[in-house]
Amino acid sequence: MSAASRSDLGVKLAGRAEYGVDAELPGMLWAALVPSPVAHGRLRRVDLGPARALPGVVAVGADDLATLLPRGAGDAERPIFPAGEVAYRHQPLAAVAAPTLAEARRAAAVVRVEVEPGPALIDLETAFPDWPGPDGARSPHVIAHVHARHGDVEGAFRTAEHVVEETYRTSSVHQVALEPHACVATVRGDRWTVRTTTQSPFGVREDLSLLLGVPESSVVVEGTWVGGGFGGKGASLLEPYALLLARAAGRPVRLALDYREEFELGRTTLPAVIRVATAVRDRRIVGRRVRLLLDVGASLPGRDFATGYSIGFLLGPYVTPTFEVEGYGIRTNKPPFGPHRAPFAPQCAFVAESHIEEVARVVGVDPVRFRAEHLWREGATTPLGQPVGPFGLAAALERADALARRWRSEAPAGHGVGVGLGFWSTSTGAGGEARLVLSATELRVEQGERGIGSGSVLRGLVAVAERALGLPADRIRIEYLSTAEAPFDSGVYGSRTVGALGRAIVEASDAVRADLAGRMAVAVADVSLAVEGEEIVVHAPGVRRTVRSLLRPDEASRGIVATGRHFAKPNAIDERRVVTGSFYPYTDFTGAAHVAEVSVDRETGAVRVERYAAFQDVGVAVDPATARAQVEGGIAMGLGIALTEEALWSADGRLLNPHLLDYRIPTLGEVPVPEVTFVEGFLGAGPFGAKGLGEPPIIPVPAAVAAAVRDASGAHVTELPLSAERVARTLKLL
Amino acid sequence: MEGPHAPRAVPGFELVAPASVEEAIAALRAADDGGATAIAGGTDLLLDLDDGRLAPRRVVSLRRLPWRTLDWLDGALTVGATLPLRSLEDDREVRRRLPGLWQAVHAVGSVALRHRATLGGNLGRSAPASDLIPMLLALDAEVDLVGPRGERRVPVDDFVRASRRTALLPGELIRSVRVPEPRPSAYLWQRVRPANDISQIAVAVAFSPGRRHWSIAVAGMPPRPALLPDVARDLGDGAPSDAALTAAAARASRAVPITGDQRASEEYRRRLVGTLLTRAVRAVPFEGGRPL
Amino acid sequence: MTETVAHLTVDGAPADLAGMPDDERLLDTLRWRLGRKGTKEGCRTGDCGACTVLVDGRSTLACLTLTREVDGSDVTTIDGAARDAELSRVTRAFAEAGALQCGYCTPGFVVALAGLLKERGRAAPLEELLDGLQGNLCRCTGYAAIVRGVALAREEAP
Repeated sequence: MSAASRSDLGVKLAGRAEYGVDAELPGMLWAALVPSPVAHGRLRRVDLGPARALPGVVAVGADDLATLLPRGAGDAERPIFPAGEVAYRHQPLAAVAAPTLAEARRAAAVVRVEVEPGPALIDLETAFPDWPGPDGARSPHVIAHVHARHGDVEGAFRTAEHVVEETYRTSSVHQVALEPHACVATVRGDRWTVRTTTQSPFGVREDLSLLLGVPESSVVVEGTWVGGGFGGKGASLLEPYALLLARAAGRPVRLALDYREEFELGRTTLPAVIRVATAVRDRRIVGRRVRLLLDVGASLPGRDFATGYSIGFLLGPYVTPTFEVEGYGIRTNKPPFGPHRAPFAPQCAFVAESHIEEVARVVGVDPVRFRAEHLWREGATTPLGQPVGPFGLAAALERADALARRWRSEAPAGHGVGVGLGFWSTSTGAGGEARLVLSATELRVEQGERGIGSGSVLRGLVAVAERALGLPADRIRIEYLSTAEAPFDSGVYGSRTVGALGRAIVEASDAVRADLAGRMAVAVADVSLAVEGEEIVVHAPGVRRTVRSLLRPDEASRGIVATGRHFAKPNAIDERRVVTGSFYPYTDFTGAAHVAEVSVDRETGAVRVERYAAFQDVGVAVDPATARAQVEGGIAMGLGIALTEEALWSADGRLLNPHLLDYRIPTLGEVPVPEVTFVEGFLGAGPFGAKGLGEPPIIPVPAAVAAAVRDASGAHVTELPLSAERVARTLKLL
Repeated sequence: MEGPHAPRAVPGFELVAPASVEEAIAALRAADDGGATAIAGGTDLLLDLDDGRLAPRRVVSLRRLPWRTLDWLDGALTVGATLPLRSLEDDREVRRRLPGLWQAVHAVGSVALRHRATLGGNLGRSAPASDLIPMLLALDAEVDLVGPRGERRVPVDDFVRASRRTALLPGELIRSVRVPEPRPSAYLWQRVRPANDISQIAVAVAFSPGRRHWSIAVAGMPPRPALLPDVARDLGDGAPSDAALTAAAARASRAVPITGDQRASEEYRRRLVGTLLTRAVRAVPFEGGRPL
Repeated sequence: MTETVAHLTVDGAPADLAGMPDDERLLDTLRWRLGRKGTKEGCRTGDCGACTVLVDGRSTLACLTLTREVDGSDVTTIDGAARDAELSRVTRAFAEAGALQCGYCTPGFVVALAGLLKERGRAAPLEELLDGLQGNLCRCTGYAAIVRGVALAREEAP
């Protein structure tokens, strides 16, 4: 099956796909947000009077919520507009709508905002120049504290032959989905409808229900085509403002960010400082210590997901008899931390891999062999006590190492080759349901989400249904429905689509077969489907029936409906090892070994990626072309994190590079076409043994590039990105 | 009337497109001081108009003026102010006789941008990060101006005053840019991202076969790209010796008034100046002491 | 000297631009005045290439072009792909190569490549075509499938 079978190719290549930014309704107003002028302060007054005095302008602020919302208030913990503390620059303080965008922008500009500026905390290390001490968790800046340990760590370090201790720093990176956030909202009676570009229509519905204080049944989310998500379109962002304005105006309202605002308001990965230490005896790791300071921006207490989630990635996929990890989520005056394709995991893998490479060199063991000797294999347990199931990472490393040796033997002077590992676990999200409808001539998959372009919905789910029911792809159609009609699913994120929703499709397919078998009075195992002419035909030994002939009168217009479910799957952490905080429960282990060949300019430090290869544990590649495309895309995004991407803030919380000129994602000129190899046979919990693939390919990239830079030049760079200047500094050229 | 979608919070402007040079000058003069600005390709100007950094009441389009020209005469190249950069890049003689200029033009933005961006606009806007100004400096290029008081010719070095500041007088327009002679030349730059970025440092070098002297210009530091005559003298009157080149690179790294910013620190820029200068000079082909 | 009405041919049809303000960008004219939304708005600062259209056959950033400045021109967008030989060719090649994921950058890539083929011919070296696409950003594909699509657009029989 070639990628050409994706059913969205035609509509997208013809420019006819409607994205969020394209949505338009008759009579709609255009909206703009009123941003906070400071990164931190106490809000004195937001005077909407001057804006409302302009012709045709509708304005809403904190004072209007009591009249606009049916219960007079939304989520007390997460007010739509702040009433007291302003937590980051550009935080929306009010919203306006007008007949044209220019008028809306002008109206936003005349709103009088009075804020008493307060001291802004921007740089992590100014808050904690030394590490947070024993009372660190009580600091008002700390909103999350996680701590776990196991075994006699102190003893392991005391009796070690080698102790390697290092500090790493990672940068803030943005998703850069090329389509900015955009939506059009309509409110009629108690029905709050929003057409929006989202990875999770049901997630947005739940969010809106809480934020606006209205029942979920009153909120309808219609997903458009999504111009890239990468985690940035998982939760609601603009929808509450647009809905409030639509309510106030009595007309549809369009709210879209321009690209500068996209950067300034985006919830994404923020900087971190990581200290790692490893104790070695007899060439074996005997103890690890990891400490993490993570900038979580203006995240609210209790809502940080990243700190505890990151710790496991910092330890890497390695057996460690004793360990202690401690992480602090630091609240700063930036937009809240938000998910970015494998949130913060590529940065963690960079730290874990660069560090273990350093340890191996200090100990005097080949870095790849050292890693292989400590790698988790099936049957091992993670430091937090979770059992490791089928896991192809060791097999991937073996093949990557062979290729790396070959490349190194071929490499010209100035080139270097490095290997990086990364692991991941497929999320199940909050579970969900699949609904299949079999008509006389086609199978429909009824869905709320369109996917984000990766093909996980359009190809992945279709391929699962193809395989489960034995129907060709051209008879399987995904039908997109609003949240009012679609079955619930928690969304396209966490590499969960094929793995989790795919399982529900298999279950629904089984239900279809069982239903057909019942109607034909044959055994389920004997039922097979085929296409003959226009008709879908069901075969069983000695029986052949068209689906048309099996439909009951009430099904004639629609077809046979079957559903399947999937559930959130817990995987117990050994709680005896947890001192405080919550950690991420890994479920279905996957990973990859990547090989990078780079050249390093020994005079300027400039790095160029010459060749790249990925050995990716996929369980089973349900649709190889789509799987390959996921890996290729993840690698390019990872190369950006490795080499050029870095959001920069001024000391007063202003984003210094909020545009695509100075926030540099890779262009076609910087990304080699990679060699992609699937490592199959280590089966996951997804359909047919598939594992999630949306996020894993990005994870090992910075690690592989850093290893290659070190191999080429000797530069052991401990900060991301590996800009030419950082490499030059590490090489002591400056 | 206003479109439903004009994104700016700033007031709009009137666009006029005069059919003659005289009318264009008059249109620029007729607006209040600072109230009018000329537009050629507009690829840089429109960014300032969108952000409100510039808010002219009138924008005077040069599109109807017959300035999309490229002429070689007695070895000198004259480029009309409104010729798209892509046309300059596509000229085989430019690539052969002024390789550094070709490299500098190719370094500007993308193909689609170069279809509209112009040499006149680049000079007139005097962007601090211009890739073209350093090369024009090293080629001893001159700007032909036309204005209310007639025509004049100004060396690029005198024309470019500072970031966004030029020697243009009220009502005056850039008509063309003149490069006096073909020169073996090279333009090298370093960027954080090789494509579509602003140079951390760029070095333009050219050798005049007739006058047997080098010209060196550096860009990437405020307030504007600058010629380095002392450094050029270090290189002598032909293919420089390794010692001369080392001396020149060292002098350049010391002498240039460099500052640091978010793109590069001062010390890194100093390192780049020397390295890129050395490489650029070596990229200029010589054989037996004579340029090829 | 102000023209009251600009004349533009868009994808083969004359465009009604009556009452258009002088400061309108070609991107806004196409998307909101003419309702031709196949052309996408990305950065609006000339850095992403999503809004690339052909003006008299030459690739042009619609976000950095005043509509009146291209008065009298023939504008071709992705919406007119079917009536243009090079655009059709590139569209077929991209479909065959699966050279897109979310599709948002796709109209810009297709138009930019069609423009390069018009300028340089179908026999242009692959490297030159790829070099000419560095102004178009894609975040999904990692460019690998796009590179395959460009190769197909060159090689495919006319």
